[in-house]
Amino acid sequence: MTQMTRREILSDIFRTVFDDPELEIGPEMTADDVPGWDSLSHVNLILAIETRFKIRFSQKELLTMKNIGALLKLIEGKTA
Amino acid sequence: MPLSSPSYFLFLPVVYLAFLLAKDRFRLAVLLAASYGFYLALGAPQLPLLLALVTFLSYMCALRMAASADPAAKRRVFLAGTAACALLLICVKYLPRLLEGSMSNPPPAPLLVTVGASYFIFQAISYLADVYLGVQEVERHFGRYALSMAFFPKLLQGPIERAGDLLPQLNKRYEFDYSSARSGLILLACGLFKKVVAADRLALYADPVFNDVHAYSGVSLLVAVYAYSLQIYFDFSGYTDMARGTARLFGIDLTENFNSPYSAVSIADFWRRWHISFSRWILDYIFKPLQMLWRERREFGTAAALLVTFLASGVWHGAAWGFVIWGLLHGVWLAASVYWRPRQKKLHRLLGLEKSGLLRAWQIFVTFHLVSFAWIFFRADSLSDAFYVAGNLLDFSGNSAQISAAGIYGFFKTSVLMGTQRRELVFLAAALCVCAASGKERIELLRLRPFWVKWTVYNALLAAILILWVSKETFIYFRF
Repeated sequence: MTQMTRREILSDIFRTVFDDPELEIGPEMTADDVPGWDSLSHVNLILAIETRFKIRFSQKELLTMKNIGALLKLIEGKTA
Repeated sequence: MPLSSPSYFLFLPVVYLAFLLAKDRFRLAVLLAASYGFYLALGAPQLPLLLALVTFLSYMCALRMAASADPAAKRRVFLAGTAACALLLICVKYLPRLLEGSMSNPPPAPLLVTVGASYFIFQAISYLADVYLGVQEVERHFGRYALSMAFFPKLLQGPIERAGDLLPQLNKRYEFDYSSARSGLILLACGLFKKVVAADRLALYADPVFNDVHAYSGVSLLVAVYAYSLQIYFDFSGYTDMARGTARLFGIDLTENFNSPYSAVSIADFWRRWHISFSRWILDYIFKPLQMLWRERREFGTAAALLVTFLASGVWHGAAWGFVIWGLLHGVWLAASVYWRPRQKKLHRLLGLEKSGLLRAWQIFVTFHLVSFAWIFFRADSLSDAFYVAGNLLDFSGNSAQISAAGIYGFFKTSVLMGTQRRELVFLAAALCVCAASGKERIELLRLRPFWVKWTVYNALLAAILILWVSKETFIYFRF
């Protein structure tokens, strides 16, 4: 899996979870930047990511995730 | 001493003077000494001891965590430190009650034996958690850390500060700024006004009823519940204003605790506006971890996390079933909204109501009533009292008998106005109008007005406070 593909997959997951085919994600974006991103959709997002990439985040990682860039980094680390 | 007591207004100028006159490097010590002196003045010496113990404990644990390279060791220290703090809180707050074997009545007020403990122990736990998660640097300067825990404006009733917000401010060199000092004093005065003119006056309606519920029914109960809803808001937000105003004199900005809570459109929204420092705490340190832990259960996991979180919230407020039920009510409403919300959104979209002003008004109305209903359990002297009030709110049969006996006017005077004089009523109405009219922005805009306008308002405020002061010993949130 190349980095480009991971980002594309993540984009795709975001578009599905937030029901917005036009959604573009950026590394600096946080929950405040995406409409509808509340704690419930956050759970769905995390589950979708874990299922798709076949990874599992730790509690610590989940509670200290700053933005999409950090999320992507974590995914890269776990699927390297 | 409570912030609304006369001795506070002797204490504050003395401390401020000492602070201003002291050399830079002694200012921290002045504030620390003043804070412990303030706490000692309560007359319960075990409290400053507890504060010192918790301060030392959390300070050392954080240093140990920073020193361990091994994540497992770090985790052990974090868990041990947090457990120790939690245990101390439980022992101090709940053990006496549990040993007594009675959770049926709230503890006798004023419960000075624990005032402040719930707040600073929660702050300590938050510091430990933030250091463990790596979002907060360890504070190596013990004096600075001790002051962040003991700082007297926030010592007794919060706000519960985050290390990341407070520590950097304590590190800055103090420079006298007339503008800050002035706005601090105004905030202090506004808070005092809210408390002694508005809140304590509203208590004139709520107290007679809640102290003897069976003597009242229907309309009187309704009036008391509404009065209490307003009373607790003015009381607590008044205190917060006083705390923030005082802190501003010393160049410290404490976190906002309130944001027009009764204009909330849902219970979730309410908790984003009420006792904000506390709800952020339970959100970050109880709800989010639980929700993540139970994420496989999706909606059910989130709902369960909300129930547990608000149950904890109820228990934090005190060892009485009333608080537990109050917390549980909020938890149940929030848990239900997890399921209801998405369907509700679809419904609104279908009916084209999404941006409707009428819908918003309705939501505010419903939310206010749900919250007020829950306050019954918070305020009532016992669980049976609470159930009586809740069950008889809309029972107007007694009232119609009163009306036939005493006529509408007589009924209105005794059962709605609780026999308070017309003069008091006018003062209350005026006080509420003033509070409603003076939002944050308006007060700031006052600065731009000509000299004589500003000073007329300031003097009027002071006069109002002194003349309309209703005497009541403590703040409501003192007890937690």
